[in-house]
Amino acid sequence: MSDLAAAGRMADTGTAFRVLVVDDDPEMAGFLSWLLTKEGMAADTVHDGEAAISRVAVAPPDLVLLDVMLPGADGFAVCERLKSQPASAMIPVVLVTALEDHESRVRGIRAGADDFLSKPVRREELIARVKTLRRLHETRRELEVRRLGAEIQHKETLRKAFARYVSPQLAERIISELAEDGAPFRREPQRVSVVALFADLRGFTHLTESTSSAEVVGMLNEYFQAITDAAYRHEGTIFSMAGDSLLVGFNVPFSQADAAQRACRTARDMVESFAPVLQRWTEHGGPPTGVGIGIASGEAILGNVGSAHYMSHTIIGDAVNTAARLMQMARPGEALLARPVYEAAPDVFAAERVSSRGEIALRGKSEAIGVYSVRF
Amino acid sequence: MNDGAWKVTVAKDLEDLIPTFLKNRKKELDTLRVALAAADFEQLRQLGHRMKGVGVSYGFDRVSALGKSIEEGARRGDRALLETSIDQYGDYLAGVQVSYE
Repeated sequence: MSDLAAAGRMADTGTAFRVLVVDDDPEMAGFLSWLLTKEGMAADTVHDGEAAISRVAVAPPDLVLLDVMLPGADGFAVCERLKSQPASAMIPVVLVTALEDHESRVRGIRAGADDFLSKPVRREELIARVKTLRRLHETRRELEVRRLGAEIQHKETLRKAFARYVSPQLAERIISELAEDGAPFRREPQRVSVVALFADLRGFTHLTESTSSAEVVGMLNEYFQAITDAAYRHEGTIFSMAGDSLLVGFNVPFSQADAAQRACRTARDMVESFAPVLQRWTEHGGPPTGVGIGIASGEAILGNVGSAHYMSHTIIGDAVNTAARLMQMARPGEALLARPVYEAAPDVFAAERVSSRGEIALRGKSEAIGVYSVRF
Repeated sequence: MNDGAWKVTVAKDLEDLIPTFLKNRKKELDTLRVALAAADFEQLRQLGHRMKGVGVSYGFDRVSALGKSIEEGARRGDRALLETSIDQYGDYLAGVQVSYE
């Protein structure tokens, strides 16, 4: 029995096709294991149903060769349990039954068995059946790998396409919603707490009147490159880009406990990143301009706005309106912060750059709000 | 019974396994005799069932055939069939000649 006992241990756990032999007769189990090993497979043996279920859970094989007559849970019960678990449902099970026992075969089919092997087991039949299931298994695995590869490639294509127009976080969310229900933008609108940042190229309208359209587009691209990079560096989500203005949200769609600090750092980063571009423009006789920024916090609604043909996933609400009004008031190279934003991030800016603008009544708002100015 | 000369041809690559196989069968024969003396029909049935499974697999069809008789005899409580089958098993194991190809 020593040869068979040795064969009873998993012979090769590398890339070989792995078969779990379940038979209460150690001599028979060892013999089947020996035959499979000779065919280049890795065989493991157990001698009762409970041990089979445990072994499959710990080291899922590629195929289970399962005797019907076992102490405790019999082969049918083991087969049913394996087929009812998602992790083992796809593992082929070959039930070893007596040739004349048609009732057992019917029960085996009901239990989910993939094939049957007649007892007494004939070597040629065993090898032929296992090899057939092995080919099926390998074909299925190959198809699954191809399917997964195609899915990943499809997602990557989508990600790249979306990422040209929206922030990486928003692209990720859109793609995950695609996977959930097959169509983007179906999620119900939700009320969220946001920090909204609006940036705008002050005086740019005058520039467009005196510059060729090709130059204007080139300059806008340089400007947007600098400020969108800054927004992404601080993990802001870009919700809209219109004309020369950009809306960036923080704490949305993913929670950011330090949203106000991120928004303030983004404002500083935008101005600093744009500075070399602006200097070059100035050296080439460009008009006086600069980034003006408004930041406010509060509740907003995150959702899809638009029609069946054109839709925008955006944030709307008081915080967004306030940030827009502050941006309109900001001078080139200035950020205007609603008081709660500044108070949540007082250390981001050097004190000498910050001054209070007092209480300001913004257009469209019934009450004046406290505003801080940061000059860069 | 066939002059005790039972000839069995076994695949060459099984040659190393056969001595152990036959040693196990002889132990099995002893256990069968003890079980028969004790009228332990459940053990006789199990042993017969096991013989039926293992015999053909190694190329010893006669072991499987006798196992089937023993299993059947134990199931029916047919002592005469059991005695005959076990005696035949003893004769077979004493006279079996194995060749390899």
